[in-house]
Amino acid sequence: MTSRDEHEMRVGFAGDAKKITVDVPTGDAPPWDLDTRLTSVGGRTRRIDAVAKVTGRARYAYDVDLPGMLHAVVARSPHAAGRLASLDLSAVAALPGVAAVIPLKEPGNRVRFVGDPIAAIAAQRLDQALDALAAVRAEYTTEAAVTDFRDHPDAPELVRGEVVGPWPGRGGDEVAAALAAAAHTAEGTWICEVQTHSCLESHGLVAWFKDDGTLEVWASTQATFGVRGGLASALELPEEKVRVHAEFVGGGFGSKFGADAEGVAAARLSRLVKCPVKLMLSRFEDHTCAGNRPSAIIRIRAGIDARGIITAWDYDAWGGPGYTGRGGGTRHNPTYFTRAKTRNSHRDLDSATDAGRAMRAPGWPQGNFAMEGMVERLAELAGMDGLAFRLLNDADPIRQAEWRLGAERFGWEQRRNPKPGTPRDGDPAHLLRGAGLASAFWGQMGGTGNQVTCRIHQDGTVEARNGAQDIGTGMKTVMAVLTAEELGIAPERIRVTMGDTNDPVGPASGGSTTTPSLAPTVRHAAWLAKAELCERVAAALRVEPGSVRCEGGRVIAGDRALGFDEACRLIGPTPVEATGRRFRNYEGYQDSVAGCQFAAVVVDARTGVVRVEKMLAVQDCGLVIDTLLAENQVLGAMIQGMSYALHEQRIVDRATGRMLNGDFLNYKISGPADLPDMEAIMFPVANGKNNVGAAGLGEPPAIAAPAAIANAVGNAIGIPLRHLPITLDKVLAALAEARRNR
Amino acid sequence: MTSSKVLGTFVVNGEPHEVAYAPHKTLLEVLREDLGLTGTKHGCELGECGACTVLLDGTPVVSCLVLAQEVEGRAIRTIEGLADGPDLHPLQDLFAELGASQCGYCSAGFMLAASELLERNPDPTRDEIRAAVAGNICRCTGYIKIFEAIELAAARLRGEQGQPTREMLYGS
Repeated sequence: MTSRDEHEMRVGFAGDAKKITVDVPTGDAPPWDLDTRLTSVGGRTRRIDAVAKVTGRARYAYDVDLPGMLHAVVARSPHAAGRLASLDLSAVAALPGVAAVIPLKEPGNRVRFVGDPIAAIAAQRLDQALDALAAVRAEYTTEAAVTDFRDHPDAPELVRGEVVGPWPGRGGDEVAAALAAAAHTAEGTWICEVQTHSCLESHGLVAWFKDDGTLEVWASTQATFGVRGGLASALELPEEKVRVHAEFVGGGFGSKFGADAEGVAAARLSRLVKCPVKLMLSRFEDHTCAGNRPSAIIRIRAGIDARGIITAWDYDAWGGPGYTGRGGGTRHNPTYFTRAKTRNSHRDLDSATDAGRAMRAPGWPQGNFAMEGMVERLAELAGMDGLAFRLLNDADPIRQAEWRLGAERFGWEQRRNPKPGTPRDGDPAHLLRGAGLASAFWGQMGGTGNQVTCRIHQDGTVEARNGAQDIGTGMKTVMAVLTAEELGIAPERIRVTMGDTNDPVGPASGGSTTTPSLAPTVRHAAWLAKAELCERVAAALRVEPGSVRCEGGRVIAGDRALGFDEACRLIGPTPVEATGRRFRNYEGYQDSVAGCQFAAVVVDARTGVVRVEKMLAVQDCGLVIDTLLAENQVLGAMIQGMSYALHEQRIVDRATGRMLNGDFLNYKISGPADLPDMEAIMFPVANGKNNVGAAGLGEPPAIAAPAAIANAVGNAIGIPLRHLPITLDKVLAALAEARRNR
Repeated sequence: MTSSKVLGTFVVNGEPHEVAYAPHKTLLEVLREDLGLTGTKHGCELGECGACTVLLDGTPVVSCLVLAQEVEGRAIRTIEGLADGPDLHPLQDLFAELGASQCGYCSAGFMLAASELLERNPDPTRDEIRAAVAGNICRCTGYIKIFEAIELAAARLRGEQGQPTREMLYGS
């Protein structure tokens, strides 16, 4: 068992601060808390790689060009389901420029979706490789297939958008009793369509299998070490013989964790021809073969008591994760249900389409959309305003404070439409305004198993190195800020290297784990390096080691104050080098982060067009390491959520399983023209979970926006819309039905 | 497809370049593959995302839809030519300053489209900015920082101070 030291710290936030005693593993840096005064942390640092990005000098995988490099493409199944009957590649090899062709399936293998890889071709030029696709002779025995999860034999029956059929009895006895005892109950169905990640840089890599038996790779990935492991295993190489680079990555959002079949194919082709091979997916392939956020059907019945407390919560969900039949689960914020009897069930329904992958808060936007929609209905039944109802039910002390702050800054009272479905004073009759709100929850405080190197050179250069990737979140800058804080110098002075598996091991960028996993390690490395720097300075100046400290850009040694560079000259030619470790998390203040979002919309009742006018987020991420980076994450997540709520939908032809809108014209993503007024308010919390107090931030702000917007539309038009995306046809249909029912 | 190349001159960022290139190539491909100017990005190759935007005789075009042969001799500006030597263009400086560039993949296209707007309209409204960059998609930033960076760059180009306001930094 690890030895540990008791450490008293003040945690929480201004409205709920408390002293706790935590067990800090021996050897860890003393943790920061509410009372720690920090200089660089919490500021607004210009990203240390920003200039490379704005000048076009940043090199992404797609930009890599090596002497003698070949270009590869993948031949894919045109059928959604069946078996490969025969595969003849002999005509391909004879074509001009073609250097190698390999099968990726053998006759008899299943094809599982339109786009399933069957062969890969490398040629001197990309156009030659593309031309060669026509020479692939493949025959298939096809089968009838379900290409939409709603057509699966186990799918629930939907009548006018509502699941019909009995509720499962088993395990639901307590909930059934709570429902029977409730003052009010409600029931409803929510549906979400498939969203694609739509990273602007498509998936792919350049693989170079060299004469010495090593494989060097430049990948567009959010997991350098994952790609290394995947390629090593597929090519039966020791991991030490594979080196993966990802210095700049054009987005990932959960879809770029592995080498994928295409990456393995490029590496195999390179091994055959002993040349670098580049394989980047086209936009259509990226939409259709590189993952997506699964669709969902969610049915909820719930009850409240006479005071409006939620007492029963029965949640039944079906996910549509594609051919794997796995990973379509949905999740929702649990903090409203601490006084309720609850039951959750989930079933995945496979279909012959591309497999779902993790996408920014996997399962949460779907689940929270349904949950917050039901909460809205329960508030109505309780005769309460949506905000007051949430304040009554939400058990999270952080979010309680956030609701109040957000409501005031957003102008909840003024923006909420008191008479849903009618125009506000001064508006023309066809313009309907409304406001909505929703919560966000995330429970990721980072994990162990990574290392960071901190090196201080005699010329004053400070390096921080880790082999994981910065996918655009600003992780390199986070490393600079934390190292600078510990050494008392400016973040701009730190030279950060990320995205090379020859450096110390780091996490995959998923589940909002990168910052909380790495930040304490970065700090630990800098803290150890600082101690050694102080020792060497003390030895050179012949003073007590304990009398030397780093502060305000200087190194103070007894009664002398040296500039940082001046002190570094005393190090000598061997740099100070320290390897930081990630210790386990402490007990801390809270294991989750809280957030909430508000949205105001205007709906044109003549056209059905929904415009978001204003969005506001209040978000906790533990210690805010850099305010600008944190706000960047939140603002970007809000627009992705708006895009999911209003625009994005993969459309698959049910007969053939082929995606009909695999581009950016027909697959609509929110663009500059859709931009609302936006505000992100960071809500810092000293969580006491690690030596920094960092928590994850990538996912939580992506969870609330779709629900908040859907609720705002409901408030505007007076009819809840429970099927995402809320396109104008759905708005018009709902308004027409309301007119008929009047 | 033919493998023979043709010889042509492209005037990129003020410098003529004589290039032997495959005649079927798009301007995007010639810039990236034959001139090594990879700051112009592949996004969709269908003219739908704006990542490959460059200026052609001062007008924004999506270079993935421009046949290279058609623009020989005409003035092409790419992201590599936006800075004045070591001095960043105010757009570049403010994209960096405000975090308008996250993964960075769309940034060049946005800045080139915006630079053309600021050439013809030194004091654009937010709606005019909206129209100028409506053909560009960003998946990371949520756009608001891009708009603010363009507004501030316009101010700087007009000779005003162009510092971020308190609202830009801390919300309203």
